[in-house]
Amino acid sequence: MTILLAQASEEEFSPEHEFVLEEWIPIHLGPLDLSVNKAVVYLWVGGVATIFLGIWLMRFGLSLRPTRRQTTGEAVYELVQAQIAESSLPKKGIHLWFPYVAALFLFVWTLNMVGFIPLPISNDTFDLFGVELPTLGIYAATANLMVTLALALITFVATHVEGIRFNGAVNYFKSWVPQGAPKGLLFLIVPLEVISQFMRLISLSVRLFANMLAGHMLILVMIGLIFIFGNLALAIISIPVATAVYLFEVVIVVTIQAFVFALLSAIYIGGAIEPEH
Amino acid sequence: MDILLAQLEGNVDNLGKAIAFGVGVGLGAVGAGIGIGNIFGSMIQAVARQPELRGELTGIQWLGFALTEAVVFYALLGGLLAYVLV
Repeated sequence: MTILLAQASEEEFSPEHEFVLEEWIPIHLGPLDLSVNKAVVYLWVGGVATIFLGIWLMRFGLSLRPTRRQTTGEAVYELVQAQIAESSLPKKGIHLWFPYVAALFLFVWTLNMVGFIPLPISNDTFDLFGVELPTLGIYAATANLMVTLALALITFVATHVEGIRFNGAVNYFKSWVPQGAPKGLLFLIVPLEVISQFMRLISLSVRLFANMLAGHMLILVMIGLIFIFGNLALAIISIPVATAVYLFEVVIVVTIQAFVFALLSAIYIGGAIEPEH
Repeated sequence: MDILLAQLEGNVDNLGKAIAFGVGVGLGAVGAGIGIGNIFGSMIQAVARQPELRGELTGIQWLGFALTEAVVFYALLGGLLAYVLV
């Protein structure tokens, strides 16, 4: 064990190594980089898992005497309907945007959850009886800014398209400025309101991204302390702390972040469909 | 002390950046900690006064929690950017 530890500490330990995206299947279209890397594979896994989860929970074997599977599905549906859609989308927008919000909740939740299951998708390999196998690692697609930014962009575009469709372009952009604002201050208020619309995009994407990144980073650093100091005794402290962080992330943060992402999307879209005044 | 200074030679830049990063994220965490404490404190008071509103308040509580908690991540991200770029 000591030899293993000594070897490990000789190599520089760096937790950010887990977040380096190497190109596995390079695809370059002009300036576009569409290469398949770790985040893309995690997205595929998350997408497939979301589809199966949705079908398995809600699409077959429904009966009047619900099984545990059906009650779980109904609880998820009710959470999205009561807490997210009905509380923030106006009546005329629910039938259009409830499916989007529900899918967003389920998708982000699955992506986050997949990120905390150790999967053999990794840059590193280890040797098992002469076979090179990828090491188990935790990485979340949502711990990548590009993924969350893409999700936030969908909401951002949908917000303004729906706002213009329901209110007309002139009325919609007028509704950005609070009514009754003094005319002399408009030159200050208008830029602020425009900036705040774009700040939503940043805050929506960075919140999810940084939460997931920080969660993974904390776990990795806690385990990595053993290797940085090369002292096995540290495991007595760092393993329980890492386990506690892991449980906190899985039980609370994963669901809260998916919930908040879907809820804020619904609030933004609802606010655009029916401006407050 | 001499040993400490000798070890620092050549690494003072990184040292300064690391200290700045730590202090920045720590201050961000102070703010977020106060805010989150406020939210849960108010939630306890609200439910103690009107227990029948718990269902409605829970959603608002978690929304507020996430919005406040995000502040510390902005600090973390800003610190990381400064650490990497400067």
